[in-house]
Amino acid sequence: MKRIVSLTVNGRRREDAVADDLLLIDYLRELAGLTGTKRGCDGGECGACTMLLDGEPALACLTLAARCEGRQIETIESLAANGRLNRLQQAFHEKLGTQCGYCTPGMIMAAEGLLRREPHPSEAEIREALSGNLCRCTGYVKIIESVQAASGDAS
Amino acid sequence: MQVLNGFVLRRPASIAEAAALLADPGARALAGGTDLLANLRHGLDRPATLVDLTGLAGLDKLDWADTGVAIGAIVTVARLARDPRVIAELPALAQAARSIAGPGHRSAATVGGNLCLDTRCVYYNQSEAWRRSNGYCLKREGDVCHVAPQGTRCHAAYSGDLAPVLLALDAQAEIASPAGGRRSPLGELYRDDGAQHLTLGRGEFVIAVHVPAPAPGVRMAYRKSRPRGAIDFPLAGVAVALAASDGRIESLRVALSGTNTHPRLLEGTGELAGQAIDNALFARLGKLVQKQVSPMRTTVTPANYRRQVASALAQRLVKELAGVS
Amino acid sequence: MNEVQGATKESRAAVAGRVRTVGQPQPLIDGVEKVTGRALYTADLPAAQALTGVVLRSPVAHGEIVRIDTARARALPGVRAVITGADCDVAYGILPIAHNEFPLARGKVRYWGEAVAAVAADDARIASEALELIEVEYRSLPVYITAAAARAAGAVPLHADKPDNIEREVSHAFGDVDGGFASADLVREQSFHYAEVAHAQMEPDCALAEFDPERGRLTLHSVTQVPFYVHLTLAQCLKMDPAAIRVVKPFVGGGFGHRTETLPFEIIAALLARAAGGTVKVELSREQTFTVHRARPETDIRLRIGMKRSGEITATDAEVVQRGGAYAGYGIVTILYAGALINALYRTSAVRYRGYRVYANTPPCGPMRGHGSVDMRHAFETMLDSMAGELGLDPFAVRRANLITPPYRTINDLQVNSYGLPECLDWVEQASGWKQRKGKLSPGRGLGMACSHYVSGAAKPVHWTGEPHATVNLRLDFDGSITLLTGAADIGQGSSTLLAQVAAEALGIGLQRFRVIAADSALTPKDNGSYSSRVSFMVGNAALAAGKELRKHLVDAAARRLETSAEDIECLGETYRVVGSDRAISYREAVRAALAETGPITVKGTYSVPEELQGGKFRGAGVGPSPGFSYAAQVVEVSVDQETGEVNVENVWVAHDCGFAINPLSVEGQVQGAVWMGMGQATGEETQFHDNGLPVRANFLDYRVPTIVESPPIHVKIVESRDPNGPFGAKEASEASLAGFLPAFTSAVAEATGIRVSTLPLTSDRVLDAIHARRRSERLKRARAGS
Repeated sequence: MKRIVSLTVNGRRREDAVADDLLLIDYLRELAGLTGTKRGCDGGECGACTMLLDGEPALACLTLAARCEGRQIETIESLAANGRLNRLQQAFHEKLGTQCGYCTPGMIMAAEGLLRREPHPSEAEIREALSGNLCRCTGYVKIIESVQAASGDAS
Repeated sequence: MQVLNGFVLRRPASIAEAAALLADPGARALAGGTDLLANLRHGLDRPATLVDLTGLAGLDKLDWADTGVAIGAIVTVARLARDPRVIAELPALAQAARSIAGPGHRSAATVGGNLCLDTRCVYYNQSEAWRRSNGYCLKREGDVCHVAPQGTRCHAAYSGDLAPVLLALDAQAEIASPAGGRRSPLGELYRDDGAQHLTLGRGEFVIAVHVPAPAPGVRMAYRKSRPRGAIDFPLAGVAVALAASDGRIESLRVALSGTNTHPRLLEGTGELAGQAIDNALFARLGKLVQKQVSPMRTTVTPANYRRQVASALAQRLVKELAGVS
Repeated sequence: MNEVQGATKESRAAVAGRVRTVGQPQPLIDGVEKVTGRALYTADLPAAQALTGVVLRSPVAHGEIVRIDTARARALPGVRAVITGADCDVAYGILPIAHNEFPLARGKVRYWGEAVAAVAADDARIASEALELIEVEYRSLPVYITAAAARAAGAVPLHADKPDNIEREVSHAFGDVDGGFASADLVREQSFHYAEVAHAQMEPDCALAEFDPERGRLTLHSVTQVPFYVHLTLAQCLKMDPAAIRVVKPFVGGGFGHRTETLPFEIIAALLARAAGGTVKVELSREQTFTVHRARPETDIRLRIGMKRSGEITATDAEVVQRGGAYAGYGIVTILYAGALINALYRTSAVRYRGYRVYANTPPCGPMRGHGSVDMRHAFETMLDSMAGELGLDPFAVRRANLITPPYRTINDLQVNSYGLPECLDWVEQASGWKQRKGKLSPGRGLGMACSHYVSGAAKPVHWTGEPHATVNLRLDFDGSITLLTGAADIGQGSSTLLAQVAAEALGIGLQRFRVIAADSALTPKDNGSYSSRVSFMVGNAALAAGKELRKHLVDAAARRLETSAEDIECLGETYRVVGSDRAISYREAVRAALAETGPITVKGTYSVPEELQGGKFRGAGVGPSPGFSYAAQVVEVSVDQETGEVNVENVWVAHDCGFAINPLSVEGQVQGAVWMGMGQATGEETQFHDNGLPVRANFLDYRVPTIVESPPIHVKIVESRDPNGPFGAKEASEASLAGFLPAFTSAVAEATGIRVSTLPLTSDRVLDAIHARRRSERLKRARAGS
């Protein structure tokens, strides 16, 4: 069954006919053409699809698009205002918080959720906020440094 | 593109409507979806209807009273973990909430959903192609339990983190049903059967959990053993509520998760009242745990480890709460 | 790329005015795409019209295919192609002598999940319905999931040409082994067991194939590390002229060796596209990606070492058995590496090696970061430690007793020309506070150390063509921009950035003038691919040669413009000046002058490994030789919870000799990633199979890639030994540090618990079992003493 869903994606209102069983990750990638949100596992195990749902980090691969009526979705594509990197993107770029880049959108969105709630997180808070996001390249060291740099608390 | 099974999503406006919808045998309750949708992606169920409970008014509240708190079923795990009053008054509950999966799950996952978490097993939480190759299993579509092929019951393990804390705190579950509703001790929500671990009847669903205010002097904690520092379900999760004075136990309740088909309140802790908190007590407690947990080969981590670590964590939490070093 | 210019202020610039690009921390040239979500990986490529390709996988791990009937699937509306083993009769693989895999099984299946048939359909729902309609009948054969079972007498051969299921048996002996043991003061022997592990790169496998029937052309976009090999294999398997094929590597979400050979789904996507006459996208699930596998095999090692009282190693005797899985893949290379790289870390005078690569009914193994060296290095370093202990030597002392002095040729003809291991040892010893802290930590804590090494590319490529090992083109046009064209696959390791740095350095200009186009066979020169850490060294050298060649064009042009000889022109990057004068022209003027004569310029730089670095002549000598060996030492600190067996890695100090850090930022990141991947293997990662061949852990809950929570600080020291053959002295930076973690970790656990285990991974349950076993034996001892 399909229904018309109105929602806000990256600040823009959208209306789409979506099947009840359509996952938000497929909505974003296939319907909205926003491929920054990545699929890394078979369901809720890696965090690569992390985006913000009403400002809270959530997993697009375990969210039904049909339940997003009236909700605000922010993906990695939303962060660079007028094409300029935001503080987290800048830090992940300059500090090599990204290597292959595949976990990066989810990692940055999880960190973005954290910094909005807690602009100056401790290292423990950073680790907790990113604990659902697997990275296979960095060993996480430079990811932590990137978030610290973005929060102005670089060591 | 992930193909799910074409279910219809229903968003009832009232509890009664939800109960009526859930009375359909092909209907399943959907709250945060972090467990159910992951399972549907693996083809573990093919429901005709998902009944979305998250739009129901009144189920998203923490209602504090002198006698305790009523926690609505769709209160998110993230909110429970962050709520200052939960942290202050029911710290074990906040600890358990914080230990669930990852932040992306916790923002969606609900109290009701965690209480009703499906049981898990390495022969069950696999893809459709995998399970078919293996002849399915007793829990779904098959007639053999690969964990204990001689037996006739399913040993899939219950792995929710909130239930043990709520059991240790003697909470009650409030359940809606087509006939109205009922309230019962949380333990009665579960039965010892991995294939059918909830006692909910057709059309029934948890709408709240009522946690009595802990007696003065009660201290509590939750700890889980898991392979990694996040994401993982508990190999063993242990909740302890302890009142002690002068180095002796006044009251002790211990509950466990991850080790049985259902969350289990440890029996026999009442007999420990009045006992000195010493190595002999820890040994007794450890033995109680070891006897009552029954982990099976449902995880890649050996069952015996889960038994031992459950025992070790129970002793450790009592030590810590009693201030014994 | 403003950072580059900013960096010049403190740069180690040799010539005033020239921009230094190497030796400077350089953010990735494609980093902006990655942090904005604009980077397109294969699954992200626009393909609105693409058909969905899905694969029917074998439900049995070993069996004969009696019958396949695809008629009902073909008849389903919306199905555009159905293919089976009958659609490709060309076997492929790595070494020509071991091509024994088909993209779709023919006659027999040898592991669970092996591709048997595939469908291209209008959408995913129709495609999966069609799979259900394909009827396959199997006749089951016995399933072997251990090397021992597969080698047992009477076992059914997986492949007819290997009746004993041994793919390759290696027997090497160098030096006087028996004499070495006879002259030793201490001889010890020990056995080890290592679980199979997986790359678990974050990007699941995916391929997008477009076939144009009108012109008979195929374009494949894929997640590969080796576009050239994929190109060759597609041409073979599809019986096409390679000229009609284009292979493109988009952004790739990690490889670690998973993607260093052509993988079945790549050929299947191409076959489907041709059969359907259109575009087909094949996206694998995580479970399927695990089943593609090609990673580090389950390994058993029996190792014997002889040592003098001084710590000097006198002889080594090793036997290695690897469960290689169902097909050959890189198997022969892996089993040869395990033996060859016993050498070249320390002085070795006598080594005997027997290796057995065994077929079994598990997914094919292959190369994984530290290819072939990792498990053997754990065994070797672990024994060095325990033997040093018996001799009363410090772990650092026993390593120092065996150091190499370069240039040094090993007994198996590996040539070591640079060797920073002594400095690595000094740094980690100092930084970790080893001397003050070792043996004096609080209970439950431990420190361990180990060394490791790796190659900077294989001196003999697996596809020998006689061509140079690497080629880079630089293209200069009227706008003054330089496009670097390379076939090298950037898979996240930063190779595109590094190559631009190297070429820019030769020209003395900033990276803002550079673009890199990588790994598109229609545009870029062929490259053997990103594996065995060959890119920095080999392609780096080619980029340097190309940069110098282009500089020569510009210098010559400037000389003509300034009416002097080329020898009198100095290249200052943005300025070309007559030496010792103020007569100069700008870079843009030099470009105009150069183009005025010839039009747009494309130059080429190549690199070939010198003959003397290509190794010996014995059978198997092709594996091991490298133009440069990198070195690492590390110290690991752990704490162990004695009641739960949980081990926490508190700190890692690692020093890596990469010759010269072209991009120190990337070197740090690579070293941290390698150490951490070693931690995953040491602490919890393992694949596992049920007796019927079903994978137990083909997901990210049970295949336990560490999370950020338990991942330690990793302190990196870059040691620069300046290899005479590397570009600016550089060697590899992303593999050598992996292997050392494992033995350093188990040594640290040994200090913390008093227990040395010989099985990895060292999970909490194994630690607790060992602690309990030790307590039982201590109680027993006490009881005996008391009675």
